Amino acid sequence: MKKFVFVILILNISVKLLAQEDLLNSLENEQPQSKQLVFASFKGTRLINLHTIETLGKGSLDFRISHRFSDFSTGASNLWGLDGPATIRLGFDYSVSDRFTIGIGRSSYGKLADGFLKYRILRQTMDNSMPVSLTGLVTMNLSLGKDPNKTVLGVDKYEKFSSRIAYMYQLMIARKFNEKLTLQISPTLIHYNLVMNLNDKNDILALGISGRYKITRSISLTGEYIFRINNYTPDQSDLYHNSASIGMDLETGGHVFQVFVTNSFAINEVQFIPYTTSRWDKGQIRLGFNVSRVFAVSRSAKDQKDKIKGEKKW
Amino acid sequence: MVKQIIHIILVSCLILIRIETQAQNKIYKTSTGKISFYSETPIENIDAHSSAMSSAINPTNREAAALVMINSFKFKNSLMQEHFNEKYMESDKYPKATFSGVINENVDLMKPGNYNVTVTGKLTIHGVEQNRTINAKITVSESLQLHLKADFNVKLEDHKIKVPEIVFHKIAEVIAVKIDADYNLK
Repeated sequence: MKKFVFVILILNISVKLLAQEDLLNSLENEQPQSKQLVFASFKGTRLINLHTIETLGKGSLDFRISHRFSDFSTGASNLWGLDGPATIRLGFDYSVSDRFTIGIGRSSYGKLADGFLKYRILRQTMDNSMPVSLTGLVTMNLSLGKDPNKTVLGVDKYEKFSSRIAYMYQLMIARKFNEKLTLQISPTLIHYNLVMNLNDKNDILALGISGRYKITRSISLTGEYIFRINNYTPDQSDLYHNSASIGMDLETGGHVFQVFVTNSFAINEVQFIPYTTSRWDKGQIRLGFNVSRVFAVSRSAKDQKDKIKGEKKW
Repeated sequence: MVKQIIHIILVSCLILIRIETQAQNKIYKTSTGKISFYSETPIENIDAHSSAMSSAINPTNREAAALVMINSFKFKNSLMQEHFNEKYMESDKYPKATFSGVINENVDLMKPGNYNVTVTGKLTIHGVEQNRTINAKITVSESLQLHLKADFNVKLEDHKIKVPEIVFHKIAEVIAVKIDADYNLK
């Protein structure tokens, strides 16, 4: 009889446990089966020189400082390039929505001002119903300098304002393969209203390949290589070289700090993709870094409510 | 032998009856419970909210359960939100936090009134289970709507949530969690 009571007790307890689990299980079953989006494909909105598919959340203002030192090959007297001359770009990106970012910037090299529109078209989902992320980018670039040859030639190449403008169109396709590895390809078209050298073509086609590999929770290895596809200038292979960079992302809470070596001196795509003159095999590489600080400008409670209700799901 | 068989049949009947009665009873439920946590840091306060906590309370046996998807927490700073999911909570590995327990006091939640109760059960965050007793205030209205308020603290190390090596935000070791939810009988 004692045994019997004991058995009943045990069974009752187990039924009770079962019921508790059931209550939790019933909650799990009622969870809306929404598509989970893949997040953090890259640590930041730029990898090294190129944009990534990432955009920041609505209402974020991102202040960016991009800096490139001089060549290592300038030697010890120039502290391997750290003495300069350096080039710098200052920029602000603002996220109008979770998918749409606008930005402005100014590079010291070529006195180039730039503005861009960036839109996330597709987002990779956890269940692979959407296997890749796709982002589009359009930039407009404005050379603010004076024509250096004006006094010599007596002709101002910037006589027309439109001659100062160059455009870039880029599609970015990326896939996060696992927690550590993300790869991206970026087909690119650059258009100069006025060509850089006399016999250049106005349009330049290129394909960027970039990737990152996470080593720890806060550190990733990054790499970037840009193939130039069409012939846009005579002696292209002697004068200019493909841009190649390797580096690392260090992420420290509100900042992302990116440090790398690259053979490109310029920071803006319309400059470094077609007109990189330095070569890795001659030691003409330089140290560079990007610092980004994100400020939350506005994110109202209403937005958050809308977000929870869910919008377009990929 | 015969006795034992009868016992087994009896016990099985008892269990069946229990499960039956549970199935018939109505349960307090919500899928829009508010849950938030807060931590003060020198640079920027960490403050996140979710309004998508689902929870159930069974007034018959006073069992309670709650579940929230980690990536439903919204931060003011979207970068922080990403770090929270990716680095601290690893929400692709551990997508949800759950609680499942029993109300200790013998309260009748089918009667309108205010009840101060304690709930004992298992809290699972970041894939790590902890036995906890949590104080809660329950208000049952005339129309049998139940409102629950609870505050409790979560120690990061209890749930193996690691603060990264290089971080400018000093994150508190203990995070204050607030729950505020309205349940309907279903």
